[in-house]
Amino acid sequence: MDGAAEPTDVVLAAAGGDLHAFEQLYRQFSPRIYGLCLRLTGQREAAEDCTQESFVAAWRALRGFEQRSRFSTWLHRIAVRTVLARRRGLRVEYEVSEPASGLPEVADPAGDGMPHDLERAIAALPEGARHVLVLVGIYGFSHAEAAAALGTAEGTCKAQLHRARGLLATALGMVE
Amino acid sequence: MMKDSSQRSLDELLASLPQEIAPPRRVWPRIAARLERHPRRSRPLFLAAAAAIVGACIASTLTWSVLRGRAAPDSPQPTMRASSFDEPRDAHYVAARDSLESTFRERLALLDPGTRAKIESSLAVIRQAHKDIRKALGSDPANPVLEQLWQSTWHDELNLYDDVIQATQSTLTRT
Repeated sequence: MDGAAEPTDVVLAAAGGDLHAFEQLYRQFSPRIYGLCLRLTGQREAAEDCTQESFVAAWRALRGFEQRSRFSTWLHRIAVRTVLARRRGLRVEYEVSEPASGLPEVADPAGDGMPHDLERAIAALPEGARHVLVLVGIYGFSHAEAAAALGTAEGTCKAQLHRARGLLATALGMVE
Repeated sequence: MMKDSSQRSLDELLASLPQEIAPPRRVWPRIAARLERHPRRSRPLFLAAAAAIVGACIASTLTWSVLRGRAAPDSPQPTMRASSFDEPRDAHYVAARDSLESTFRERLALLDPGTRAKIESSLAVIRQAHKDIRKALGSDPANPVLEQLWQSTWHDELNLYDDVIQATQSTLTRT
């Protein structure tokens, strides 16, 4: 999910209540967490709130973090759960015509000059399909990790990914 | 074959997306402000007494529910497990919580209307979050992260009571 070195000492210091150490963890991991929240929610304001809530929840729960999993994996799961909890409370309306302001434009790697607005196409996917695509396709979760984080069965996760890829390919004009 | 090559291109496109997007600079100061407002610290004695009763009841309820969950891992009892996260109903807990909330309400009335409105609004957010997480626990009762978040919102509420009571303590002493 994340190949970066695990900052074990910093995690231990933060778990002991060192706020500066926790800020270091924030500096290291917040771009991934914010990127993940932004793509899962499709809204900048919601992504900011979820990033904030995720790190506050992580700080509170850090004392109980037993390092059975990597800190980054644990933090990503908190972020996904925070997004899901928020979604259950607030019915987020996705604005397909103006999705996810703040997301970077992606250049067309084929270089054929076609304006492939991949982020826009991802934001327009149905929620379940988008969540799985973001976790597995972009953030490298395994199907088992994504299923556990989303609270679904692994088979459902695979089916949603298949559906997402099909819809995305169609939206991008990649299939007949 | 055509489809395989399309899927490969799609994988390449997805792989080209940046995983990291820098959050706005305002996010960390907001987090830091919240963490500094509720540092991991010891509480004043008079509050510690009340909060300890509440905290102990919460902890015992959670421990009991977790232990019960572990004791019978193969018995699917979603309704029972979900309901184990209900607020405790024993008399000591209810009395302690009522007393704490009542002190909080009295002290809240001493604050200016603007501050009061902000606190009421924070409390509404905390309670809504608590409700949302509890609902989520209903469908995923054994989820440890949700449990942590659930406890966290509970503590947020108690911390808010604590802050208001502490902030108004000097006003009461002067009068």
